[in-house]
Amino acid sequence: MEVYRARFPSEVTRIREDIRVMRIRGAGKIARAGAKALAIAAELYRGDDLAGFLKYIEDVADYVRSARPTAVSLPNAISYVITRLRRAKPLSVSEARELVVKAARTFISYSLRAVKVIGELGAKRIENGDVIMTHCHSTAAVSVIATAHRMGKVNTVYVKETRPRMQGLITAKALADEGLDVILIPDSSARYFMKKVNKVVVGADTVAANGAVVNKIGTSLVALAAKEARVRVYVAAETYKFSPMTVVGELVPIEVREPAEIVSEEWLRKNPGVEVFNPVFDVTPPEYIDAIITEKGVIPPQAAILILMEEYGLSIKEIVGVAEETELKEEELRE
Amino acid sequence: MLLPSECPKAVRDTERLCKDLKQGRILGSTEAACKTLDTLTTAAGECGKLFNSYLIEWVPRIIESRPTSLVMINLTREFLERYLEALREGGVDEALGRVKDIVDSIKRHVSSVRDAVASLGSRRISDGDVILTHSYSSTIINLLRKALERGVTFSVYVTESRPIGEGLITAEALSRMGIKTILVVDSAVRFVMKKVNKVVVGADAVAANGAVVNKIGTSLVALAAKEARVRVYVAAGTYKFGFETVFGELIEGVMLNDPNLIIPCKEWVEKLAGRVVAREPLFDVTPPEYIDAIITEHGLVAPQAIPILMKGVYGWPPRVKSIESILKEVQGVGGLQS
Repeated sequence: MEVYRARFPSEVTRIREDIRVMRIRGAGKIARAGAKALAIAAELYRGDDLAGFLKYIEDVADYVRSARPTAVSLPNAISYVITRLRRAKPLSVSEARELVVKAARTFISYSLRAVKVIGELGAKRIENGDVIMTHCHSTAAVSVIATAHRMGKVNTVYVKETRPRMQGLITAKALADEGLDVILIPDSSARYFMKKVNKVVVGADTVAANGAVVNKIGTSLVALAAKEARVRVYVAAETYKFSPMTVVGELVPIEVREPAEIVSEEWLRKNPGVEVFNPVFDVTPPEYIDAIITEKGVIPPQAAILILMEEYGLSIKEIVGVAEETELKEEELRE
Repeated sequence: MLLPSECPKAVRDTERLCKDLKQGRILGSTEAACKTLDTLTTAAGECGKLFNSYLIEWVPRIIESRPTSLVMINLTREFLERYLEALREGGVDEALGRVKDIVDSIKRHVSSVRDAVASLGSRRISDGDVILTHSYSSTIINLLRKALERGVTFSVYVTESRPIGEGLITAEALSRMGIKTILVVDSAVRFVMKKVNKVVVGADAVAANGAVVNKIGTSLVALAAKEARVRVYVAAGTYKFGFETVFGELIEGVMLNDPNLIIPCKEWVEKLAGRVVAREPLFDVTPPEYIDAIITEHGLVAPQAIPILMKGVYGWPPRVKSIESILKEVQGVGGLQS
């Protein structure tokens, strides 16, 4: 990895680092940043050896993809660009460069449009006077809530703090900017407030083939509390968050991050006997989800395979091909 | 009414106590109740003959500061009843002289009850158990210590228990004893529940229907445990029972609205100031159907059997006087004598 890094433009290494340390966060933003990194790498490539360029772009793709393990949007965004480059079989570096830049731009604008469409479709599911609860920060979920607010349907939203990284603050600000009444609450009070809530709207990092949703730690707990209170749960997710690898049985790896995100270094030094376990995501089973709102329509989670077939075709071979790419990525992660 | 110039130290101490109680700064409901009794003892020393006025003015305010704490209500009631008895028997001087003895004997009783609860509960911990606990309870820490002393090997997941973060104190105490301790965020409860086989928590109060009032997040833990078929035990001596709930009284919660409790840095407090409200309930109610047993000094009981235990200990319906009515009697007796 160190060898690669020296050859890559500093902007590319910076984007990867920003994703890794969560300066860029949220599955949609990560995906767009990944596509952008490929475009930058292509634009800054100097040389006219086509084979060299293709190898270089694949290396950049692997390098960027390995920034974080759980969100499938990043490998999907990169596959979107790389697949188009491979299929087109370019004859020169300039043609190949053009292909990468164009595919990256298409992906980015598609992704931004998807968030808007999800907002519109999701808002239709919100009823007048609904009180909403949300967890973590999701541009797609914010889009649904903000659109429903502009339609005059929603005024009040409970935003969970979302320990340990407090992404709830970003959501609180975004929704307050839209003019909503925002109530910030500790994660531990999700069940306490659930009886005052009509709908839960959250985003997703990854949607598996069975409709299970991988999202920020705590999402499955909110969904459970919602189910108990007969509150509907909607997941806002662009189609590039659906994981083709899970069709062939791959598990979604759950990232575990540093203890220091939860307690201070000083506390850790004082308490060497305490192990701090910091899983970043959890899995919400499909039976706790009422619908997944994608830019292509509102679907029951159990129909996730429909989206995956639409996106990746019926060919298992093609899907396995994607899975092999992932194995490559995981090997690098171990390094 | 007390004049501001009278017993200034007692008034200052009590004001501080009320504030600490309101903000959840005193860990553990029994500790909070004992702190209250200590404050009353000191006040008796300083106020002298004005102690009755002090009680009438300040006891209701102390109770209001942590209305969920049945421990505090029950222990304060016991103190007042015994003080009133002394007052009737020998007047103010006699009663003042007995304050310390009364407080000491209540504390001794509480301590023996807690010990019995911890001993009984510790028998439910077996080799290889993976326990999860929430917030801070000295009874739970004792219970686990006793299990450890019996040579049982187990590990404990501890939630950080926001917004106050008492879980860090629990984690520290358990790890110092040499118990394998794993700290997680409150949100990770469902994630780790499949590795856990028992949940043990303390309580601020137990209602007549077996519902348990405890630190916010407890009901969420119990819900996740139920989903995963993990057993939930609540350790609570009978002095935590809410006898008033038999007569329909609700146990009041405490709600804070302090953005600083949630938001970690000034930058964000300013960004959200005036536009976002913070709400932090400090307690929640776990319904009896999510609790497998309540561990009392008289044994383990199903939460639904709480009224039977109440009857056994205090008669049925439980004969309890309200604090308000005892204070009225104190005022009456004091008035007669002055």
